[in-house]
Amino acid sequence: MTSIEVTLVTGRSLAQGIALEKGKLSEDYLKNVAVVELDENDLRRLGISEGDTVKVKTKFGEVVVKAIKSREPHPGIAFIPMGPWASLVVDPSTEGSGMPTLKGIHAEISPTKEPVMNPVEILRRVYNLTKKIPPMDPAEVVVVKEETKRIEKHVTCAFCGSLCDDLEVVISGGRIIDVRKACALGRSKILHAHENRILSAYIRKNGELVKADLKEAIRHAAKILVNADYPLLYGWSSTSVEAIKLGLELAEILGGAFDNTSVICHGPSIQALQEVGLVTCTLGQVKNYADLIIYWGCNPLHAHPRHLARYTVLSRGVYVKSRKERKFVVVDVRQTSTARAADLFIKVRPNEDYELLSALRMIIKGFDIEASEVAGVPIEKIYELADMMMSAKFGVIFYGLGLTMTKGKSRNIEEVIKLVQELNEWTKFVLIPMRGHYNVTGANQVCAWTTGYPYSIDFRRGYPRHIPGLTSAPDLLANGDVDAVLIVASDPVAHFPNEAVRHMLKIPLITIDPKWSLTATVSDVVIPSAIVGLECEGTAYRMDAVPIRLRKLIEPPPGVLSDEEILRMLLDEVKKLKGIGGS
Amino acid sequence: MEILIKNGYVYDPMNNIKGDVMDIAIKDGKIVEPSEIDLQRAKVIDAKGKVVMPGGIDIHAHVAGPKVNSGRIMMLNDHYRSFMKLVPGRRRSGTGKYTPSTYITGYRYARMGWTTVIEPASPPLKTRHTHEELNDIPIVDKACLILMDSNRIILNYLDNKDYEGCKEFILWLLEAVKGYGVKLVDPGTAVLWSWGRGYGLDVDDPVEPYSLTPRDIVEGLCRVNLELGLPHPLHVHCNKLGIPGNCETTLKTMDAVSRLSSDKVILHITHVQFNAYLGGNWYDLGTGSEKIAKYVNTHKHVSLDMGQIDFGTATTMTADAPFEYALFHMARWKWLGTDVEAEAAAGIVPYKYRRRNFVNALQWCIGLEIALLVEDPWRVMITTDHPNGAPFTRYPKIMTLLMSKRFREEVMKKLNRRALRKAILPSIDREYDLYEIAVMTRAAPAKLLGLERTKGHLGIGADADVAIYDINPKELDPSRDYEKYLKAFKRAEYTIKSGEIVVMKGEVVNEVYGKTFYVKAKTKLEEEIYGEVEKFFREWYTVELQNYIIAEHELRNPQPIYVGGA
Ligand SMILES: [Zn+2]
Repeated sequence: MTSIEVTLVTGRSLAQGIALEKGKLSEDYLKNVAVVELDENDLRRLGISEGDTVKVKTKFGEVVVKAIKSREPHPGIAFIPMGPWASLVVDPSTEGSGMPTLKGIHAEISPTKEPVMNPVEILRRVYNLTKKIPPMDPAEVVVVKEETKRIEKHVTCAFCGSLCDDLEVVISGGRIIDVRKACALGRSKILHAHENRILSAYIRKNGELVKADLKEAIRHAAKILVNADYPLLYGWSSTSVEAIKLGLELAEILGGAFDNTSVICHGPSIQALQEVGLVTCTLGQVKNYADLIIYWGCNPLHAHPRHLARYTVLSRGVYVKSRKERKFVVVDVRQTSTARAADLFIKVRPNEDYELLSALRMIIKGFDIEASEVAGVPIEKIYELADMMMSAKFGVIFYGLGLTMTKGKSRNIEEVIKLVQELNEWTKFVLIPMRGHYNVTGANQVCAWTTGYPYSIDFRRGYPRHIPGLTSAPDLLANGDVDAVLIVASDPVAHFPNEAVRHMLKIPLITIDPKWSLTATVSDVVIPSAIVGLECEGTAYRMDAVPIRLRKLIEPPPGVLSDEEILRMLLDEVKKLKGIGGS
Repeated sequence: MEILIKNGYVYDPMNNIKGDVMDIAIKDGKIVEPSEIDLQRAKVIDAKGKVVMPGGIDIHAHVAGPKVNSGRIMMLNDHYRSFMKLVPGRRRSGTGKYTPSTYITGYRYARMGWTTVIEPASPPLKTRHTHEELNDIPIVDKACLILMDSNRIILNYLDNKDYEGCKEFILWLLEAVKGYGVKLVDPGTAVLWSWGRGYGLDVDDPVEPYSLTPRDIVEGLCRVNLELGLPHPLHVHCNKLGIPGNCETTLKTMDAVSRLSSDKVILHITHVQFNAYLGGNWYDLGTGSEKIAKYVNTHKHVSLDMGQIDFGTATTMTADAPFEYALFHMARWKWLGTDVEAEAAAGIVPYKYRRRNFVNALQWCIGLEIALLVEDPWRVMITTDHPNGAPFTRYPKIMTLLMSKRFREEVMKKLNRRALRKAILPSIDREYDLYEIAVMTRAAPAKLLGLERTKGHLGIGADADVAIYDINPKELDPSRDYEKYLKAFKRAEYTIKSGEIVVMKGEVVNEVYGKTFYVKAKTKLEEEIYGEVEKFFREWYTVELQNYIIAEHELRNPQPIYVGGA
């Protein structure tokens, strides 16, 4: 049978982001995420057509997914959206960085007759899970009372790090019936807010999750945490700063570890900042001044759909007023939909961003490059880009996981930071990371002001320590260092590499989440929570660290509390068990 | 809780008490007549042979907000080196010496007997962040000053000479972001920095595209500040900070507003040490301390804080972005810069002050010289511009240096010789006494902040913020026994905050949370102005005006100070 060799890239896609809101066990999710995007040519080489199943094999595992044709040509590159399927074939090793390698992995693809497993089958067959998985609560049935429609304006969208705060939400009968101005992701999150909800607390008894009283579930969770030798508290990027603060206090009292999801997205950005600094600005500066906009290793049209219109290429600024006055460049390993809209697309060979950045630094410093190409890019194109950079009045590079997750990790980011620092000798230039989850930036901020460290924090010695590679969640799990886990607003069972998931399934697991996630379904205690920005308020930080308040628009389902309230109860219970008085 | 502090040597300049042996009584968080105390229930502290003062007040320390937090993240090394452990039920943990995390910031102030601190540079758009951190600083009362020198809405008003509009807007802005006062940093530079320019901008240089100069900005906003009757005078970090020859710039800045007041302080020049340099380059750097002091001694409208440096690693962070860029080229290690749309810019660069370095040694002398040459301790306050010159935990050292010539000589033995030849410090004999120290660190900052009714003194009705130091001024001469004074100042015997004992024998024993002061307008902003602001917002900002406003309940203990109105 034929097989082809490709470079595997995993990441967000628009369809994945939308399907997510309907639940990880939904048909939509299976249909949109258990797929591999292949170039038309590669499909032909495999002798298959779109919709056929293929087996993707790497050094780290294998998975069967459905092949689909990529919209843009990218021969030799296979893209699998982030999720339980991608997790089976990514490289779990963090090389002491805390960050697994999720992009640029060598893979072999072959046609197969084997069926695609759904997430439950993955848990059963790949991870040998014996725990029972509960039937999902039916979608909440809301009796619509007679009420006049009201429209909430200036609503902040709690989906991605763009935190667009100009949404209009139409509410009737205590329920959201329409959303205006939102992108497809935000719209999906808000309109499907009531679907796939957890509506009661649960405790696992004799292998089965059974409904429980909230207080009982909190007592049970507190006992698990207090009895653990070294618990891990993980998640935190999709909740409020107020909740995260309480999570940190809880980890401190337990002497446990605390990590947020930045460890598997922009952890390397933070490590690079620690080494060399950063030159950055808020998005309004870009809107008002930037005449050169570069997106590097990111695909905003899928992951941050309104980014271009609100803040960059298409926005109307004070000094730079329109698309015509801005140059727009994309650097990526494949021609994404964002790349198609750009004035200049630079296709870099996977895992060679560092080389390309170094070449740019050399040119800017006045050195000549003798090679005819670097990182797969013809030298004339690199000179052209360097020229655009130096002649811009105000340039900006937005970069994404294409730089943080590939070979080199934090070294790539150090290189791009230095490039930008050096460009300031010539002109005004800034760098902004494209942060994914709506409050991942806030999670870093509150961790830093509370402990001095932005993520991967250990409290075992009674004071904060930060040693990525040791105290980072993927490593703590893969190494089997922790013996209980509390997950807040995250789904590591779906998104962590294989080995980490295996350990998680062996130890007591507590989940606090508004919705059923894979992690929730296999947990030992499940506590439902309200959705921040819809059902309760709190602060979140935009990707440029601008803090924005999220408001409460509607009531949460009956009996469901906010993360903040739940964590306060849990903290009180833990203090009681540990005999700590005071506040 | 009722407390009676018995027989201490009390230093309370506002009530003209100079080391008299007195009892101080505390009830319900306030100072009361001793007769009001029920001795059966009260906790009695025997302060015999000890010094009793109001709690210390820090007029300028970068302790909270976006810039400080970026500094924390960047200065990993600082956090590996220094930490405080959790004591369950009593205090939280934390790390960092120069950029400490929030909880231990509060503890360290309290351990020195300090009970109020002002964060001096918050960009409005990110002030919600500043408040979130202030909320997490225990024990001390706090407030933040708002960066306004490059705020495009304000510059527009000034450009149009619309002072009334400007006044209304500033009052609205302070209330919207829950700020306490108006801060200018290298006026106008952040406007130019948006195009990568602005380094070395001087008082009379143009701030394009406005037809304004930094002088116009200082003058205009000083007038606005005065006419609004804000509790704190205009707080200015002068142009050309950290550049040889900037003494002239500072003198011009001070003089720019001299005609607006002849008696009361209307302009506060912050961390003046960094702005008191003579010479045309770093090699021929000279001290401008005499010129600055002479001006202050002959003009009553200005006050200063020192911005004293101390030797060792520091983290420089200011809203003076071009300066940090220039410093990055000297220090060559790390540089973090951030611009905030329509408002401000900032930079952070780690730096090391060395005894043997000519410039650093002279900087150290200049700070002390100014404090010693200014005659009126009510108008020169102790700061290190934490963490720019040194961490705030060096205040005890600076207090002691001011009190002891011998201590100064001890330090000078190890300093760069050439710097000492250029400095005036070796020839200065003045030694501050405890009363004057209490003025500089308690009474004067309270008065300057407009908080003198309840802060900075121990009279009846004052907030019960008290520091007790284990030092007997009748037995120990600070000039000779400076080491004992230093030790006593570093760790207060007792710190009492709002009537609660929070520190005993130099250790935190109790965690309370103080208030956050902010300015609130007596009247509402006019519709018309609101409409103008909204229009401007749509043009300049990427957030909705409605989401820019910080609600009172976002602050842990909000304490409005009412301003304005008919
Ligand atoms: Zn300062």
